[in-house]
Amino acid sequence: MKILTLAKKESQDILSNKIYLLVIFVQLFIVLGAFGLAIISSIATDPTLLDTYGITSHLNVGISDDLKGSPLDQDLKAQNFNIIYYNNSDKALKLLGSGLVAMVGISPDGEINVQIDNSNVFYPVISQKIDTAVNEFELTKKLESAGLNQSEIQTIQNPVTLTVIKVNSNNTAPIALDSSYFVEVMYGFIVPFVLLLPFFMASNIVTDSVVGERERKTFEVLLMTPLSSSTVMIGKILPILFFSILQSMAWILLLDLLKVPIYNPIILFFILLFVGLGFIGVGIIISMLVDSTKEANSAITLALVFATFILFVPLFIKAPLFEGILNFLPTVLIVKLASTPIVGSEIILSSIPTIILSAGIFLLAIRYFRHERAIRL
Amino acid sequence: MKFITIAEWEFKETLKSKKFLIIFCLQISMLFLMIFVFNAFAVNIQSDKGVSITPSLSGFASLDIDDQGHLFTKYINPSLINVQSSDYNNSLQNLNNGEITGFVQVPSDSLNSIRNIDTINVKLYLDYNDPKRSVIRDEVNSTVNIMATAISNSWINSLIPQNTTQIAVNQQSTGQSLQIQILTNAMLAILLFLPLFFFGNMIIDSVVGEKERKTGEILMAMPISPSQIILGKILAVEGVIAIQIAFWMIILFIMGFKFADPILIYILVIITALPILGVTTIISAYSKNYKEAGIGITISYIGVVGVLIIPALTYLSIKSLASNISPMTMVMRIFSGETIPFWQYFIPIVFIFLVTILTYWISIKLFERDDIFFGPRPRLIRLFLELIRFKKNVK
Repeated sequence: MKILTLAKKESQDILSNKIYLLVIFVQLFIVLGAFGLAIISSIATDPTLLDTYGITSHLNVGISDDLKGSPLDQDLKAQNFNIIYYNNSDKALKLLGSGLVAMVGISPDGEINVQIDNSNVFYPVISQKIDTAVNEFELTKKLESAGLNQSEIQTIQNPVTLTVIKVNSNNTAPIALDSSYFVEVMYGFIVPFVLLLPFFMASNIVTDSVVGERERKTFEVLLMTPLSSSTVMIGKILPILFFSILQSMAWILLLDLLKVPIYNPIILFFILLFVGLGFIGVGIIISMLVDSTKEANSAITLALVFATFILFVPLFIKAPLFEGILNFLPTVLIVKLASTPIVGSEIILSSIPTIILSAGIFLLAIRYFRHERAIRL
Repeated sequence: MKFITIAEWEFKETLKSKKFLIIFCLQISMLFLMIFVFNAFAVNIQSDKGVSITPSLSGFASLDIDDQGHLFTKYINPSLINVQSSDYNNSLQNLNNGEITGFVQVPSDSLNSIRNIDTINVKLYLDYNDPKRSVIRDEVNSTVNIMATAISNSWINSLIPQNTTQIAVNQQSTGQSLQIQILTNAMLAILLFLPLFFFGNMIIDSVVGEKERKTGEILMAMPISPSQIILGKILAVEGVIAIQIAFWMIILFIMGFKFADPILIYILVIITALPILGVTTIISAYSKNYKEAGIGITISYIGVVGVLIIPALTYLSIKSLASNISPMTMVMRIFSGETIPFWQYFIPIVFIFLVTILTYWISIKLFERDDIFFGPRPRLIRLFLELIRFKKNVK
């Protein structure tokens, strides 16, 4: 009951602090902003989505008048570009990068010249679409000149057909954008980032709470109460952990509403609980080492930068040597759990190192706190 | 020139502090970490596979393949997908159990189809209950395209005589790729401007610390004007920033990064610190304590970062003159080896000069007010009206 009384007092402190409430809104802004950016960048890099949203029809490709009505002209139109015909290649070249994204011409000796503005945001898609059109044109011409009929040309151009058979279509997972880029970025980076964000804040609140009490000289009074050091510390961190987990769960709900379904929330809850203990443990250790809030802020910022590096950089870098270890990272576990409807037992086993390490950091922090008694008079 | 004495004293105190030196070294180690990430991206960007800014998780999604002729298997890229060979019955069971996301079935007579110039029908069974279905679908699609191109080419080589006239295609790209610009110019510029945001705490300590330690009264009672005190404190931090930037540039140079005009870049970066320190001083002068100042600076720095980065990134796609308002744009242009007309250097310099004057004036005005220094502190709206002389200042 004593722990609960202390926890209640700490909860009231947190809830009455306008700055913490502001930080929750900042997090909401980050979640929505990251989701929006993922949507925009997915559309910008996917030819099918660019066509769906009608963006390709706003990309102007200049074609020499000599090619008007030619099969190449048709192939480029089939790629949904807005075709602009030019009769002066020098003038068209000047427009490349401003009015035109690419220009296609033909030289007197029959060579097809393609120039694409490399600095355009949609360059990868433009280049891919123009390549497809030119290759198709080139192949058709080659096959026609070899005397093949249309049916043979069709077979050679399409030697493989792909039929997609939907399984479990009655139970389709809702996804905001059915694009591989979107799914990879959302589940592979944004979901672990968003779910861990409250714990980055938690370590800040811990230092603020412990060092703040020491600066205000109220820690002596707290430690003189008939509570053990561990009880004081657990009473202090309990509401912080609770609010952090609550925020993570709220972001899971928000992501679900945004049609980014998060699977295995119960297993995620337990992993986040232990990761939270680890972060809070780091916060307690830092609080013991520093003398003021200012020092605590600098130290926690640096600690969190290193934590970000360790947790998130491996998601973007191929390191075959460390692949075995990387599978145990909490971020990798979160990616796999959040994106897979049914997980095997191996993923539960993979979470054991995270649980042991986090619990170890936390117990070390509590032990260190008991030893130091938080005040150095 | 009393502010120089204050600056000298603050500068020496900072350099003497062991904690400052530890933080300084940790910041340098952070630079090494960032160079490591930077190089990893650079290797990626220079590879034949092109730019990938998506996570590179192995085994992100699972795919079973029934491909006895190994036609499909040899072309699939297993970097993101966990691929395993299986048969129809097992794979469908795995698919229904949610153990895999997709299953590809290549007809067993596919090699005969190639020999007879027949179309091969590949089937992809896709679990629509799995959100990763698009990852599998796109990977299978791209593998099918590679496979189709290879089969087409082999048929063409066997059907068409070698002396058939071919259409020559000459493809060129103009301008530097956006991704390469972002990586080589923008990221390097960001790396150089980053230390400017590390020293907000020093100003907070120097200004808010006087309030918290109750030494402000003594400082105000000294025969020195508030403007001299503010200038002295800012100058000391500017000196530390200048040392830090020099260190970073030397490290970047040693690590193989090349700068077209290092002295000009150095000057542009360190003068950018002046308005940033001005903004920090305004917040520190107004804040009651470290915590309030810390939050204020975090929020205002988001705005400052926006003012620096947004014009620079905009310049990559739209070469507008207005983008040069950010010194980061100018540094980025120097990195890219662009020929910059001399007068254009004045755009960011004038902007820096004006913001510096304005922010220093506001911070001096705030610092010399007793109600802000000792309380009770007026509200921000009232303060603003007083600053623009709309309301009479009551000291």
